[in-house]
Amino acid sequence: MSDSSYRLVRGLLLAFLGLWLLLTLFPFYWQIITALKDAAETNRTIPTFWPEVWHPENFKLVFAERSNLQALIDSFVIATGNTLASLVLGTLAGYAFARFPRQAGGENLAFWILSNRMFPPVAVLVPMFFLFDATPWGTDSHLSLIILYLVFNMPLATWLMMVFFRDAPRELEEAAYLDGYTPIKAFFKVTLPLVLPGMISVAMLCWIFAWNEYLFANLFVGTAVKTFTIVIPTFTHGSQTLWNLQMAFSLIAMLPPLVLFIVLRRYMVRGLSLGVVKG
Amino acid sequence: MAAVAGGAPPEAAAGALPDWFAAKKRRTRPNLIVHRWVPIALVGAPVLVLFGIVVYPTVWMFYHAFQNTNMMRLFRGNWSFVGWENFHAVLTSERFWDSVQHLAQYLVFGACLQVALAAVLALTLYEVVRRDWVRVVVLIVLVLPMMLPPSIVGVLWKFLLTPSNGAINAALLHLGLIDEHIEWFNAGMSLWSIIIADVWNWTALPLLIIYSGRVSLPPAVYEAARVDGASGWLVLRRITLPMLKEVIAIAFIIRFMDAFKFVDLVYVMTSGGPAQSSELPTYIAFQRGIREFEVSEAAAYAIIIFAFSAILITLFLRYLKKVLKAQGIA
Repeated sequence: MSDSSYRLVRGLLLAFLGLWLLLTLFPFYWQIITALKDAAETNRTIPTFWPEVWHPENFKLVFAERSNLQALIDSFVIATGNTLASLVLGTLAGYAFARFPRQAGGENLAFWILSNRMFPPVAVLVPMFFLFDATPWGTDSHLSLIILYLVFNMPLATWLMMVFFRDAPRELEEAAYLDGYTPIKAFFKVTLPLVLPGMISVAMLCWIFAWNEYLFANLFVGTAVKTFTIVIPTFTHGSQTLWNLQMAFSLIAMLPPLVLFIVLRRYMVRGLSLGVVKG
Repeated sequence: MAAVAGGAPPEAAAGALPDWFAAKKRRTRPNLIVHRWVPIALVGAPVLVLFGIVVYPTVWMFYHAFQNTNMMRLFRGNWSFVGWENFHAVLTSERFWDSVQHLAQYLVFGACLQVALAAVLALTLYEVVRRDWVRVVVLIVLVLPMMLPPSIVGVLWKFLLTPSNGAINAALLHLGLIDEHIEWFNAGMSLWSIIIADVWNWTALPLLIIYSGRVSLPPAVYEAARVDGASGWLVLRRITLPMLKEVIAIAFIIRFMDAFKFVDLVYVMTSGGPAQSSELPTYIAFQRGIREFEVSEAAAYAIIIFAFSAILITLFLRYLKKVLKAQGIA
């Protein structure tokens, strides 16, 4: 290929990349400016691409409705509860897989645990709906979602923790034994501090998935407990959709995962390469 | 891994394969295990939980796929065995085959298109963009949509695609690409709207996978190709693509596996409508099971979906084992 046509191809590819960047950013741009318009301006026949009057107070107005704040609280409780449970279970199992692979069941068991995250949740959700219905707390509760989200978060936590424990040198642990530490003390004083940074990133990752989850929440809760993910799609005021408030609310709700993502982008691809990003 | 981190070399790119599960050979030193049952207990807890929340429900589902269970019978406990009747009902219903057609459309224009776009974008980003910090910033921006809650993605795109005064129609009109508003949510277009939102949402996933695959290819090979004077096109076709074959296959399989789970945008954007024109099999399974309480029909749907997923997952795990060990990604 000649030099000039080679340069042309590169230029075209770069232009395509630039265009794709713009297309990626445009919905965010539209979301932000809509959140700052007033209701009348969002309903114009010809939409404005720059707000005529700025209404930053929309972000406060969202919380005039108590239930919106409550939805964020519900989501927070569920996401945090599930993260803690996934982390405890995942850390212990990950440790066992890393340190005693054969005694803990080996490769096949580890991959079986991982595969639970990949199967479509249809086969699980319909039965679980009827099973939880028969329990005292019912389907419409924090606890039901905290338990259900283990389906996708616990395998992830197990695998990532296994990887982190693998990277932590076992010699340190052995030295601690020689110094007379009990295994439990050695685990908490020596090994756990080594994997703590990894553990925090796993916690954040699990928290994002639980915070963002929509499908399980949509099917299981909705009256006593409402996560923001099911409030936002049904965000209406009387008969009218207040797009500006809806966009303001969604901006507030998506801020935590975006911030966490930027913090832990280094670890993101580990989760990705396990093929398990989607909940 | 190094991709997003910004250029640090991937651990164990070549040579030292982290073969974690075969670490037992040289162990003659005293075993650290206090009791035989300690590892079993540690692993047992999550395994038990998974039996409770995954295995048991799945078995339940298989059982009821062959009964005539619905809501009433379930609570009275008087369902009975009907054999393959549920599967027969599903496989002869027009609704099912329509949804399969929709799924095929989604696979071709959603999943496959995403991987193709992702491959072009990822390789462009790696080969053509020179500065490291530009790559990192571009990657972060491209990945942002993936981090959003799906319900927000659905609402946002529903808003962008509003036929009468949505931003997309306004922009297309403004640019002169269309003469009149596109009705994004009529029977012919609603599935396309979902696919557009999904492409925006998830193209970054295969992109990241392919990009980090490219980052971890050994530079020595490219050095040799450069010394031999191979053209950029030849290097791409003879070196990069063959070496990325498995990574690209993984990207495809992941998107295909996700396709069988994909349902949240359907719920948020169209609820399967209008007139069932954007229903996917997974969506019907949920509707039949949890909204309409036809448990056994939902079970039949679930098992059909389950079977396809099982094939993909087996395939995926096989590749995953290979690639994880070869690249030391995880």
